[in-house]
Amino acid sequence: MSVYRVTALVVAAALLGALAGGWAPAPATGQAAAVFRTPLGGEPPTADPYFATDFSSGDLTLLMYNTLVGLDSAGRLVPEAAKSWDVSPDGLVYTFHLRDNVYFHSGRKVTAADWKWSFDRMGDPAIKTSVGDVVAGPIAGYDAQQKAGGGIAGVKAVDPSTLQIVLNPNSRGGFLNRLAYYAAVVLDRDVVERGGRTWFAARDAGSGPFTMREWVHNDHVTLAAEPRYFAGAPKIARVELPIVTEAQTRLAEYQAGQLDLVAVPLSDFARIKADPVMGKELIVFPRAQIIWLGPNPRVYEPFKDARVRRAFALAIDKAKIARTVFFGFYQPAASIVPPGIPGFYAGYKGLPYDPAQAKKLLEEAGVAGKLPPLTMAMNPIAQDYEMAAEAAAAMLKDNLGVDVRLQRQEFAAFQQGMNRRTVFPAFMTGWAADYLDYSDYLDLLLYSKSPLDRVSYANPEFDKLVDQANAAATESARTALYHKAEALAVEDGAMIPIVFTQFALLKKPYVHGLRTTAALSGFLKFNTVSIQK
Amino acid sequence: MLRYLAYRVALTAPLLLGTALLIFLAGHYAPGDPVQVLLADHYTPEGAAHLRHELGLDRPLAAQFAGYIGRAARFDFGASYVNPARPVAEIVRQTLPVSLRLAALAVAAAALAGTALGVCAAVFERSAADRLIQLGVIAGLSVPSFVVAAVLVLLFALRWRLFPVAGWGHPSDYVLPVAVLAAAPLAYVTRISRASVRRALAEDYVRTARSKGLRRSAILARHVLRNAALPIVTTIGMAFGYAITGAFVVEVIFNIPGMARVAVDAILQRDYSVIQTAVLVYTAIFTFVNLAVDVSYAALNPRIRY
Repeated sequence: MSVYRVTALVVAAALLGALAGGWAPAPATGQAAAVFRTPLGGEPPTADPYFATDFSSGDLTLLMYNTLVGLDSAGRLVPEAAKSWDVSPDGLVYTFHLRDNVYFHSGRKVTAADWKWSFDRMGDPAIKTSVGDVVAGPIAGYDAQQKAGGGIAGVKAVDPSTLQIVLNPNSRGGFLNRLAYYAAVVLDRDVVERGGRTWFAARDAGSGPFTMREWVHNDHVTLAAEPRYFAGAPKIARVELPIVTEAQTRLAEYQAGQLDLVAVPLSDFARIKADPVMGKELIVFPRAQIIWLGPNPRVYEPFKDARVRRAFALAIDKAKIARTVFFGFYQPAASIVPPGIPGFYAGYKGLPYDPAQAKKLLEEAGVAGKLPPLTMAMNPIAQDYEMAAEAAAAMLKDNLGVDVRLQRQEFAAFQQGMNRRTVFPAFMTGWAADYLDYSDYLDLLLYSKSPLDRVSYANPEFDKLVDQANAAATESARTALYHKAEALAVEDGAMIPIVFTQFALLKKPYVHGLRTTAALSGFLKFNTVSIQK
Repeated sequence: MLRYLAYRVALTAPLLLGTALLIFLAGHYAPGDPVQVLLADHYTPEGAAHLRHELGLDRPLAAQFAGYIGRAARFDFGASYVNPARPVAEIVRQTLPVSLRLAALAVAAAALAGTALGVCAAVFERSAADRLIQLGVIAGLSVPSFVVAAVLVLLFALRWRLFPVAGWGHPSDYVLPVAVLAAAPLAYVTRISRASVRRALAEDYVRTARSKGLRRSAILARHVLRNAALPIVTTIGMAFGYAITGAFVVEVIFNIPGMARVAVDAILQRDYSVIQTAVLVYTAIFTFVNLAVDVSYAALNPRIRY
């Protein structure tokens, strides 16, 4: 065989391989005015709303499905699939009057029976959904369902347009906030039951403003507008959701005009704010998220003494971190529950920055100058946590003389360490709201029986206050009790709040009608969005 | 030759099995498990136990491995842990062609351009062109691909808007990633072909050919290139390796839905079934590329026989 033939073969084989299958057709690029393009941060692991715990699956759920109660941009509860509701005087019985113009994408009308079936599925112990505890947890009969299966006794379809939900007296507070959780949606029973385990792969079972048209794995998801949406047909024809895993790539695609809406990576915030063009396209608003430092008494002996934990809190200058590390983009956090959550503890001062008092507390505790080195793990999922950890570590070293070592790990290992609770002496992480309610913070992060109480805080007084809040008859009584519990936890140094974060999004000037929110990815359903080029 | 081929192909079976075992053990003994990632902040001990059982992770390691190998032998790689609705075989079927196409385009570009540049540099040794090419080779070998990618995106996509920043599907999407992926192999092929053409040019048979009045182009094509081809072909084989591994960076940067990006995601999410299968597939590809290179030696050089 001659040299040429071999070379030609090699090259031809390479080219043939390259072209096998031909050029794929170009994806729609949104040249038509009616297409709105915003990225998903990763391949959605599922499109079953009841298992949607990540942002990609959450965004899909938000756009394709309906909850009974929704949120507006200010975080207020608004009717969604229910046009109104009545609450019994004791706050235990909720009667929802459903709209008569909500249709599944299959064309079938949504009835109270569909809601009943959906709530039963949320709690179904055989499939263990991610929404069961969050949404159905407070409903009477949920605990029985967990043990014996079947439906939830507390949910009843009174007639096709009336749904009644009876609550457990010990957990009546904030129920509507839970119902506004993006995943507390109604599902089209026919689609779910006929589609088997992977019913969501090819189609959705929703009644929301958009319906799934195409899901090319690892590449993009396309949603089409649903003309019969109860609030009126969306103003855009399609939503293109390319799956782009790298934040920098998303930003570059936005700059190149390939995307209409993206989140701004923190490292680029200052540059973009100063940019004459993009600076004007930047929208900034509060996010219901806190960055906090978790002192873990189970691993780091000195943290067993509340005075030591409080000393750590007093030795960290949050205002300086917010101002210098996060260039004033984030706000120093005095309390645990962020602004944007109904009942936010405005005016609460928390623990001030007071290194002298901190040193005094260490002396009282008998550990001044004797603190062993402390390893602080950092949640790697976002850059902010590492930035906050570095600053806090330096302040602790300067003010208390404790040698803080930062531990960087990948997400899987970090998550495992967090759940084991016996791995990290301290950790810097964040918490963003699933649903806008106090219980999503205090009940989950610090209540002694919560699986997410990763600082192993077990203060009977705190638990009692939370229990009382959940059983409180009125919203104002509930809020007052939660404020007490919150102040107790802060002053106990159970967790050390650092900053409340904000969203920074870039939106093209031709995009109108985008509604923002403190939760989720920062936006509400796109049915009001229009493109006017 | 046929016996040799059969021997080499047979050798891949234990190789694949060994690789599968290694990666299986590495995955299971590395910190972090898929259940924790999947549940993330919705973790409860009961939820974790339920999921662990569903994924079969509560079975003994040996049973898990034997089950995996048994099914893999029938090309059934199970379902992704992270996305149970997707069989891994389907993921491979969708993403592998993308990665192979990207790699093949990069190798073809590197082989054609690299050989041409190398020959040019050797023929015009010590000329300005040669020095320029040499400089380019050093740059290509020493600048990491993510830097090349950033510079190319900045200039060609953001400043001049000639190509898209990222994406996959339209022919114009291919240009930048292929250029980035081809940079290092191109430099390598150029360097090797320059050296081996230079060596061949100094041989007696070239002087003989010249003295009998053959045209320079004919000498180059018929005598020099043929004798210089062996190392070049080896390098092109290795370039394929470069391109496949380089794709782990390039596919992520340019958001290409290929197998390398899926593998990176799978590693971060501890999606064992996908990781294991990706490693198996890559091992098989490398084995066969090496085999193809070895076989091509015999075709190129009659003195080599197996």
